[in-house]
Amino acid sequence: MTELSRAQIRELMGQVLKNQGKVLPDDDGADLREVGFRSLDFSELALRVEDETGEELNFDAPGLRRIATVGDVLDFLVELQRQ
Amino acid sequence: MMSDSATPALLVPPSTVVLVSGGSRGLGLAIVTDLLESGLKVAAFARTVTPELAKLADAHPDRSHVDSVDVTDLAATQAFVRAAEGRLGPIDGLVNNAAVGQDSLHVHTANADIARIIETNLTAPLQLTRLVVRRMLAQGRRGRIVNVTSICAQRGFPGLVAYSATKGGMDAATRSLARELGGRVLVNAVAPGFFASEMSAVLGQTQLDQIVRRTPTGHLTEPAEVVPVVRLLLRDQTNINGQAIVVDGAASI
Ligand SMILES: NC(=O)c1ccc[n+]([C@@H]2O[C@H](COP(=O)([O-])OP(=O)(O)OC[C@H]3O[C@@H](n4cnc5c(N)ncnc54)[C@H](OP(=O)(O)O)[C@@H]3O)[C@@H](O)[C@H]2O)c1
Repeated sequence: MTELSRAQIRELMGQVLKNQGKVLPDDDGADLREVGFRSLDFSELALRVEDETGEELNFDAPGLRRIATVGDVLDFLVELQRQ
Repeated sequence: MMSDSATPALLVPPSTVVLVSGGSRGLGLAIVTDLLESGLKVAAFARTVTPELAKLADAHPDRSHVDSVDVTDLAATQAFVRAAEGRLGPIDGLVNNAAVGQDSLHVHTANADIARIIETNLTAPLQLTRLVVRRMLAQGRRGRIVNVTSICAQRGFPGLVAYSATKGGMDAATRSLARELGGRVLVNAVAPGFFASEMSAVLGQTQLDQIVRRTPTGHLTEPAEVVPVVRLLLRDQTNINGQAIVVDGAASI
C-alpha cells in the first residue's frame, strides 16, 4: 500500500481549502476554527487520501473531537493510514 | 387473504413471564430489575452476563433465567427461549432492548460495521420477535411486545446513520406488527432520548451539554424514567397499540 506523507496530505488539505477560497496557513499550530476547516472538510480530505492510496480509511467520530489544529489533522491521517 | 379483523373484546392480559434482550447493563438491566421487583418472572440474556445481572438472578432464583447469548445467533436464542420457558413457563412478554450503538460518519463507517449494526439492531430483534410470537400463537396465548427504539428513529443525528435506520425500521415494524397481530399481541415501541450508558459514553461533554440545553425538562433522560413506561405497556390495561412513545423531556419537540 502506498502511504501519503505528511507533506502530501498537507498539500491535499491546501487544495480542499483553496476550493472554498480559504488559505491553509504554514503554521501547524493554526486553529481549525480560524482556518475555517470543518468536519465535512475533514471527511473530504480523508476521502482524497483514500483516492490516492486506494485504501479505505474508516474511523469513529470521538477521535475527531480531539482535533483542533492543522497539525492534529495531519497527525491523525498519517496515523490512520498506518492502522 | 383471510379476514384479519380482530375478534372483539378479548383483552390482552398483563404479561407475567417477560423476555428481555440485552438485560446485562444500562436500560436493559434497569428493566429486568424493575420487572423482578414488580413480581414478574424474567428471562434475560446478553453476550456477557454481568455480575449485576448474575446477582439479580441469584436473588430471585425461582423467577429468573439468565444466560449469555448473542442475539444474532438464532440457534442460541432459540435454545434460550426453550430453556427459559421450561423453567419459568410460557413467555407472554418480550422486550427487544439489545442493540449496539454507533458514532461514526456514514462515509467513514466500514461496510462490515454497517452490516453488524443492522444485524444486531434490526434483523435479530425481528427474528426474536418471530420466534416468540410463533410460540404465543401456537399455544393460543396473548402477549405484549415492547421494542426499545430511539429518538434517532424520528429525528436526525450526525454519526448515527445506520443506527437510526435500524431504529426507524423497528418503529415501522411495530406499527405493522400491531396491525398484523390483530390485537392478540400488543406491540409498542418506547423511544428514549439520550441517556448516560456505555452506548452513549462516546458522546462528548459538549454534545451532552447541548442536548441538555435543548431539553425543556433540563436533564438527560434517566433509565429510571423509561422503565415505568415499559412496565405500563407490559402490564397495564390500556388501548395503546402500534405506538412509539418518546421519552425525552420534549428535547425533540
Ligand atoms: N443510551 C442512549 O442514549 C439510548 C438512547 C435511546 C435509545 N437507546 C436504546 O436503549 C437500549 C439499551 O441501550 P443502553 O444505552 O442501555 O446500551 P448498553 O448499555 O450498551 O446495553 C446494551 C445491552 O445490549 C446487549 N447487547 C448488545 N449486543 C448484543 C448482542 N449481539 N447479543 C446480545 N446482547 C447484546 C449488551 O450486552 P453485551 O454487550 O454483553 O452483549 C447490553 O446488555 C438500546 O436498544 C438502545 O438502542 C439508548
